[in-house]
Amino acid sequence: MIKVDSITKSFGEKKVIENLSLEVENEEILSLLGPNGCGKTTLLNLLSGLLRQDKGSVYLNDVLVSGSTGAKKVHLKPSERKIGYVFQTTSLFPHMRIQDNVAYGLQSLHFTEQEIKKRTNALLDFVGLQEYAKFYPHQLSGGQKQRIALARSLATEPQVLLLDEPVSAVDPQLRESFRLELKNYLQALKITVVYVTHNLSEAFIMSDRIAVMGNGHIEQIGNRTEIFDKPTSSYVSQFLGINTFKGKAVKTDAGLLEIDVDGKLLLAPQAPNLVGKDVIATIKPEDIMLSKSADFNFNGAQGNSVEGVITEMVQMRSNAQVTIDAGFLVKTRLSLSSIKNLGFSIGDKVYVCFNADALNVFADNSSE
Amino acid sequence: MKRKRTFGNSLSDKMVILILGLLVLTYFLFIALPIIGIFLKIEPGQVNAQLHNAAIIDAIELSLFTSGTATLIAFVLTVPTAYFMTTRNFPGKSILDTLMDLPIVLPPAVAGIVLLYAFAPKGLLGPIFNRLGLIIPGSTIAVIIAETFVASPFLLRSAKIGFENMDKDVINSAKMLSGSRLRVFFTITFPLSIRAIISGTMMTWARAMGEFGATLMFAGNLPGITQTMPLAIYVLLYSNPFGGVMLAIILIIISFSILIIIKLLEQKRFGAKK
Repeated sequence: MIKVDSITKSFGEKKVIENLSLEVENEEILSLLGPNGCGKTTLLNLLSGLLRQDKGSVYLNDVLVSGSTGAKKVHLKPSERKIGYVFQTTSLFPHMRIQDNVAYGLQSLHFTEQEIKKRTNALLDFVGLQEYAKFYPHQLSGGQKQRIALARSLATEPQVLLLDEPVSAVDPQLRESFRLELKNYLQALKITVVYVTHNLSEAFIMSDRIAVMGNGHIEQIGNRTEIFDKPTSSYVSQFLGINTFKGKAVKTDAGLLEIDVDGKLLLAPQAPNLVGKDVIATIKPEDIMLSKSADFNFNGAQGNSVEGVITEMVQMRSNAQVTIDAGFLVKTRLSLSSIKNLGFSIGDKVYVCFNADALNVFADNSSE
Repeated sequence: MKRKRTFGNSLSDKMVILILGLLVLTYFLFIALPIIGIFLKIEPGQVNAQLHNAAIIDAIELSLFTSGTATLIAFVLTVPTAYFMTTRNFPGKSILDTLMDLPIVLPPAVAGIVLLYAFAPKGLLGPIFNRLGLIIPGSTIAVIIAETFVASPFLLRSAKIGFENMDKDVINSAKMLSGSRLRVFFTITFPLSIRAIISGTMMTWARAMGEFGATLMFAGNLPGITQTMPLAIYVLLYSNPFGGVMLAIILIIISFSILIIIKLLEQKRFGAKK
């Protein structure tokens, strides 16, 4: 549906998008996840045609919408691309009534007055805000405004919908419910969606696949399990809040890979091709268990048990983030009740335990 | 450790407030008293006679005509220019930007001499008008040119600020939905910057009405042709002081009304009821 072929975009000296390629399937909801300033919004603006890339091509539905074929250069206007765009701020036209906001795109398609009215009503119905038709944007809440922005962007019957952090315009205490509401709308629409966010759980809730962006290109793309269980770069794992260690793969033994992380040997799933190489190992906080005794019961599975000392405990709402110094720093989360039951406190000696299967290992190319 | 005595520490808060109050009052009186003072010069018996004085009527009519025309020309030229300057990037833009603001700080006499040399029959632009049978200096057209030259940058600046402060996402939303630039401009960009544009138009009009130096240098002081209200005030000061006072009061009332309109426009904004 969407195909981006090695595009590059600079603003002055600064390269914001660098040789980026991306494919989005038909009717897929793809999240573009990354920290602020990594080029997510710029990528959306390149897809929409609000910006023009310096190099590379953009295809929608196998049609070149921006780029060059042979000697011919193509750059379709935003309005010619059949793309809907919901912006980060509530970008409703403040001087127009809600119904006129929604009708704005329809009017440029030269529908009859009656047809415009019919379609506008249908769109307001879709987002459940029919009774606000005669209101002005400033009379609506942040969430309502974004629903109208969604309805307005759908008026021209786009094939692709771009959403740029749509939740950030909503009051913090209402964001959770707005996310679910938005997800229902997106699923009902059955169109291709590119959803930009810097929020992990939002990407998780919203999308079929997640593309993690960093420094102007896609670092990794995959479904949720692939991204969270098997990050392929330390950039991705660190961005996702996953424990990331540098080490060296020593040998394979008994169907497992042994790696050396700061002098401690850890067992990881078999990967003969990594032996002798510098590697990066990642482990999700939720895969880590803490024990007061060295012989932790792995229920028959192969496991790692590393001695360490609790150095920090930060209490969150329902759990606490615990940092253990085991020669290298490991972070995990424990529920407040289990911390109380097990009697953990800062300075305690504990064993960091996790299944060998849970350790994700890949070659470290950063030192080359 | 020794504590440093600073200037501020040696004054009590009450003293500070007292001094501040005195400064504010002094400044307020400095501005207000002369203006109030001129209203005290009104001699009710004379008002009617002055309003039938041909020289005064001519000056008022000429001022309204020239400043109105200058404002209209400024509007037609500066609003598109401001839009172009805020939406486009090109080499030398900041130089051009600065140049276009220059008349705001340029002494009016300099503006006058610059225009005089440009439009003189042997000047840079003069020959073009000569061929059309027009001699600009000393004509009503010269008054309009002088006023436009001096006053239009106020509208340019204001319109630029209006266009610059626009929410980019709002404009981009419109671009996604409509392929016509003109439609986006007239339905979104222009209405959303209308306050800035109106307030800039008012500023330009006020400045054009008050133009004195450049007009005197470039257009001269010919009653009925180039003698606008400020020029008439200057002349009447010696021949008919009360007529000068009348004109001054009319200009004060116009200027004050313009400022009130601008203030009202600044207070009310779309979606301000947050």
